[in-house]
Amino acid sequence: MTASERHNATVTGTGSRAIVFAHGFGCDQNMWRLVAPAFEGDFRVVLFDHVGAGGSDLSAYEPAKYASINGYASDVVELCRELDVRGGVYVGHSVSAMIGVLAAKQAPELFGELVLVGPSPRYTDDADYVGGFTEAQIHELLEFLDNNHMGWSQTMAPVIMGNADRPELAQELTNSFCRTDPEIAKRFARTTFLSDNRADLEGVAQRSLVLQCSDDVIAPRAVGDYVHRKLPDSVFVQLAAGGHCPHLSAPEETIAAIRAFL
Amino acid sequence: MRPLSSTGPIGDAAAGEDLQDLFENAPCGYVSALPNGQITRVNLTLASWLACDRDQLVGRRFQELLNIGGKIYYETHFVPLLRMQGFFNEVALDLVRAGRSPLPVLVNAVERRDDDGRVRFLRITVFNASDRRRYERDLLEARRAAETAGDALRELNLSLETRVAEAIARRMEAEEALRQSQKMEAIGQLTGGIAHDFNNLLTGIIGSLEMLKTRLSQGRLDDVGRYVTAGRDAAKRAATLTHRLLAFARQQPLEPRPTDANRLVAGMEDLVSRTVGAAITVEVVGAVGLWTVLVDPNQLENALLNLCINARDAMPKGGRLTIETANRWLDERAADERDLPAGQYISLCVTDTGSGISPEVVGRIFDPFFTTKPIGQGTGLGLSMIQGFVRQSGGQVRVYSEMGHGTTMCLYLPRHHGPGDEAEVAGEAADHHHTATGETVLVVDDEPSIRMLIADVLTDLGYAAIEAEDGAAGLKVLQSQTRVDLLVTDMTLPGGMNGRQLTEAARKVRPGLPVLFITGYAENSLLGNGQLEPGMQVVTKPFTMDALVRRIKDMLAQP
Repeated sequence: MTASERHNATVTGTGSRAIVFAHGFGCDQNMWRLVAPAFEGDFRVVLFDHVGAGGSDLSAYEPAKYASINGYASDVVELCRELDVRGGVYVGHSVSAMIGVLAAKQAPELFGELVLVGPSPRYTDDADYVGGFTEAQIHELLEFLDNNHMGWSQTMAPVIMGNADRPELAQELTNSFCRTDPEIAKRFARTTFLSDNRADLEGVAQRSLVLQCSDDVIAPRAVGDYVHRKLPDSVFVQLAAGGHCPHLSAPEETIAAIRAFL
Repeated sequence: MRPLSSTGPIGDAAAGEDLQDLFENAPCGYVSALPNGQITRVNLTLASWLACDRDQLVGRRFQELLNIGGKIYYETHFVPLLRMQGFFNEVALDLVRAGRSPLPVLVNAVERRDDDGRVRFLRITVFNASDRRRYERDLLEARRAAETAGDALRELNLSLETRVAEAIARRMEAEEALRQSQKMEAIGQLTGGIAHDFNNLLTGIIGSLEMLKTRLSQGRLDDVGRYVTAGRDAAKRAATLTHRLLAFARQQPLEPRPTDANRLVAGMEDLVSRTVGAAITVEVVGAVGLWTVLVDPNQLENALLNLCINARDAMPKGGRLTIETANRWLDERAADERDLPAGQYISLCVTDTGSGISPEVVGRIFDPFFTTKPIGQGTGLGLSMIQGFVRQSGGQVRVYSEMGHGTTMCLYLPRHHGPGDEAEVAGEAADHHHTATGETVLVVDDEPSIRMLIADVLTDLGYAAIEAEDGAAGLKVLQSQTRVDLLVTDMTLPGGMNGRQLTEAARKVRPGLPVLFITGYAENSLLGNGQLEPGMQVVTKPFTMDALVRRIKDMLAQP
């Protein structure tokens, strides 16, 4: 199986330079449906699903490999090499922002620019560092995930790939957007919220854009500032859009910011 | 509030009031929110569930009401979903309540858009899921308990198997120890019995030889024949004893012949009478027209004598001993009872008027080494050897006994359809007429004394004898031009070539060469279960020179 098949990759657009969109924790490549088409005129647009999400090959999920976001970064490198991406643009949302940073360090030739939407190198506060979550909150989250009650499966029902216990429910609620395997999502949450990649921000060679949302519970302003400060060559843009997903809630503003940067 | 009419139209004000009531007191929580989740309106039901004022809720974002897991999943999963498909349904979340446990809820949300497609507000509906969550928790606990119980049961089963296996192993060890001790006891009985019998016979043989030597040295040759006869008889009985032992082990090649049991019994009557003594009356009842049976007559004689001795021992104060023969038709049922195939049999029964045998003992009398006699007075092999011989002859032994009245032991033997034994006797007699005409016999045996005896006997009879000590030496003779009319070879030979292999090599250079095998019990397998090629015969050790000579003459007389 090729990396493209494993990641359900779709390549569109007429440009010669590639722009790769990476979805974050909680959804799949559908996240980019309002943004990606805007770049098809100038770029070769690459969309893909991380293993465990969307149309990816679930059997490729290896708990050990994906216990760290380095596993996801290796996938990005493998996929982009297979698609012959060189000096392209990487657009990563949420945890995929840091996945892109790691991929760019593993294979510097792949990308010329990085666009980081709501990035966070560490979600837990640490001494002077403000991550947005106290250690107690992260523990509460992990405990919440571990006590995986049936209701939680119900919570996930709209976003799971079929529900073995209640197929009629899945039929009713499952949609073509944002499919994730609940068990893998749980592990992905653990990987994401326990990660600390602050050190990896140092020495990034690529030009970078930090897109910061307003009122983002997941990645608050202080974190965006930190990322901007640590990245050697970065631009910081504060969006008017609120929440954690500006590419869905304010696609035009997001597109404009990216275009301006490029 | 005015009572509502169920029949007439209601006014606008009343309808508004009705809808207001429905909104505020609906059995679910209602929230209107801005696209970013900021609450603009909330009903009384939700406010009361959250135990706070409505004012405290308006202005806050809906996701702020959630616990930390809910907040994160709401932002990462449900907001994108709502944006992309316009709604989400039945999402299980926990609403945080100040000073109280979180409220489990199911949440539905839908975007309300204006004509231009812009989101005007979110309608969020909240269902109290406390009962459902409790039910789910109970269900999960029950499932976990069932799994734990299942695990425990599997564990128990595994350990049960181990425990049973251990118990069985211990039991088998105990049984093995018991068997071993029984075996040792049996060997004690056996060695005692055999030593007793053999010592008697050896005493007779040694004594006879000593007397013979004395008389020869004295030159008194007139009555030496007595000692020769006595010594030979004792040696023959010793040979019979080893035959009986081998028959018991079913190693003894039987020599079945068509036999008239009546004649055999008649020939034994005198011996039986003398053996059992005067206190016991012996009566023989021979059936008229008794069928012929195919058995080894010597073994049958032994068996009969053995049964009579047992009968004698059961009647220490005297009594009556009856030997009876009869023809028997055993139908399926009768045959089943006797563990035989249905058909025609003869019975040879020995009945005593003695003490009888208790049922417990009846169950054991055929066990090897079982005896009621003291050590040294019996091998305990008698009945089991009889049974071995009779079973080997296609028959069965049955016991009928009544305590205080006596015992009947019956041998059932299958009828033989064929010529009687007279012809055999006539043939034997004819054989003796063959006389030597310079025939040469090659004798191969590693035991010098046997080789010497055979050669001497042959020379006395006018034959030429060539001796060889092993297969290689024998083969050398056979491969030469030397005349050889008969090969007599021991089955067991030293030097890597046994009698059978020697024979195969011999017949390559001399096809059809007559061969007489001499064999002990152990080489029966070498004979291929008695399947001998034409021109081959067997004589078993120990044998008398007479028997050997008869056999050699017989073979040389064949055309």
